[in-house]
Amino acid sequence: MAAAIALLACAIAAAGCGLGSGDEVGEVELTVTRDFGTERIVATVRDEVTESDTVMRVLDRNAEISTRYGGGFVQSIEGVAGGRSAGRPHDWFFYVNGLWSPVGAADYTLSGGEAIWWDHRDWAESMRVPALVGSWPQPFADGYEGGRHPTSVACRAAGSVCEVVRERLRSVGAVLVNGSPAEAIRVLVGPWRRIRGDAVAARIEAGPRESGVFAAFERHRDGFALWGLDEGGDRARRFGPDAGLVAAMRQGSSPPVWLVTGASSAGVRAARGLLDDASLRDRYAVAAEHGEETALPVR
Amino acid sequence: MRSPFAYTPRPGVLQSASPGAAVAYLGALAAVAFFYSNPVVIAAVGAAAALAGALAGAGAAVRVAARMGLVLAALIVAVNGLVVGRGETVLARLGEWPVFGRVDVTAEALAAGAAIGLRAAVAMIAFGVYSACVDPDRVLRALRPLAGRSALTATLISRLVPVAAADAARLRDAARLRGPAAAPLGRAPLARRLLAGSLDRAVDVAATLELRGYGGRVPSRRERQRSRFDARLYVAAATVLAVAIAGKALGADGFSAYPSLEVELASPTVAVTALVVLSGLVPWRGGPRA
Repeated sequence: MAAAIALLACAIAAAGCGLGSGDEVGEVELTVTRDFGTERIVATVRDEVTESDTVMRVLDRNAEISTRYGGGFVQSIEGVAGGRSAGRPHDWFFYVNGLWSPVGAADYTLSGGEAIWWDHRDWAESMRVPALVGSWPQPFADGYEGGRHPTSVACRAAGSVCEVVRERLRSVGAVLVNGSPAEAIRVLVGPWRRIRGDAVAARIEAGPRESGVFAAFERHRDGFALWGLDEGGDRARRFGPDAGLVAAMRQGSSPPVWLVTGASSAGVRAARGLLDDASLRDRYAVAAEHGEETALPVR
Repeated sequence: MRSPFAYTPRPGVLQSASPGAAVAYLGALAAVAFFYSNPVVIAAVGAAAALAGALAGAGAAVRVAARMGLVLAALIVAVNGLVVGRGETVLARLGEWPVFGRVDVTAEALAAGAAIGLRAAVAMIAFGVYSACVDPDRVLRALRPLAGRSALTATLISRLVPVAAADAARLRDAARLRGPAAAPLGRAPLARRLLAGSLDRAVDVAATLELRGYGGRVPSRRERQRSRFDARLYVAAATVLAVAIAGKALGADGFSAYPSLEVELASPTVAVTALVVLSGLVPWRGGPRA
């Protein structure tokens, strides 16, 4: 009898059962902003999480929130509520390690090390933004959706430019691999004309509703010109020939794809300089020209 | 054995009032239980319905309905606790289950289940009081001018419940008479027998109703006598509904279970709760009964 009880206890423990919230598994970072990351609602905090913690529980511990639909949908954070504002729909969206979650916040279990970003934004043009750059150095440092993933750099630019990109990725803990393994996060480095043939990157040409990137490349003479789009998807700012772009995309459940690109080779050089915390933090995508950075969408 | 839910004529307010007034009063209480999510107000509705039932002499119906309601509520709490893993306070981690996925039992999910279960229990108490205190024949007569067939169906159902209960009691007695050596009669065979005989019994009940004149002419206005208690019950129903609506507008229904438990107990909630509980005194006759 005692042996059976001990066996049952072992089985329960192995299955992750137990009383209370469980053991601590590490820290997560929580960021809460509005309007595509332009304004912080809650100062970024680091919170110790346990094995039963979810994105919702971490948010509830660190902010005043209200929910709907049986606690599965965040209606307001610190009094900033979803709904219609100026005739346009606004709601709270969350990202873990820079990726749109396939499940709700109450069902997203954390394993420690994640960067959680809640943003209250207009979603009239693009409700689904599958990936963004603002949680840098995630997902390169710790992976996504509970697993670590290698990173492959697809170089379509000068070797020195790609080497800088690789060095930046290595410095934040990315595990670089050669080739394009199916599970690898891909980083496409090169001028737009050289990477637009990629099936994922090409979605930018279909607009933000398809790609989740508020940028567009327009044919210009023998090359391309980079446009920054506003939150309504309209062209808001035309950049010069030396403009670069860093953006993240994702197709379905495949690994994310980052673009380090530009209208020209000079633009790619401008973009490679954006791969740091100061330039990418809390941004959906970033354009740069002559040292001036512009968060996208343009506001 | 007579079911506690079977209508018993008594000189109480609910029994003497016209069915419309009694239904309006009990219906208003039940409506508040469904309009509100705040368990304090829902519990107040339960207290009012139980008080009304006790004052109307239907204490047995209240007790049985409360017992059945509590069993149902316990079931709802258990199911909600297993199915809903939301909520801040994790009490137990039960690992990965087939169909359910990962199961975390949280205090908030149990509390939310308790609130839903409380509503179910309160609705059962209100219906128990209705069943024991409101004459189904008079309800049918009142409804017949509006929807004759629906009224007949409703009355058939309400009449079949006590008939089925009486049948069950008879079957149990018959089983006992087989002697102590006979195998005990289980609930499943009993339910099967009752179900098998339900169509016959429905035809019997319908024929009885027909013989009593339910299929005949619609009673005239004069024949539909009003009771001196009708006004009291209508006023109580209107007051309860008006206060409930006003309370809702003033925020008396503040309750959220997720992600953390919050129950509003401000003055509008207290006022609505107090009035709803007091409304349970409406069936009080105020003196010795005849």
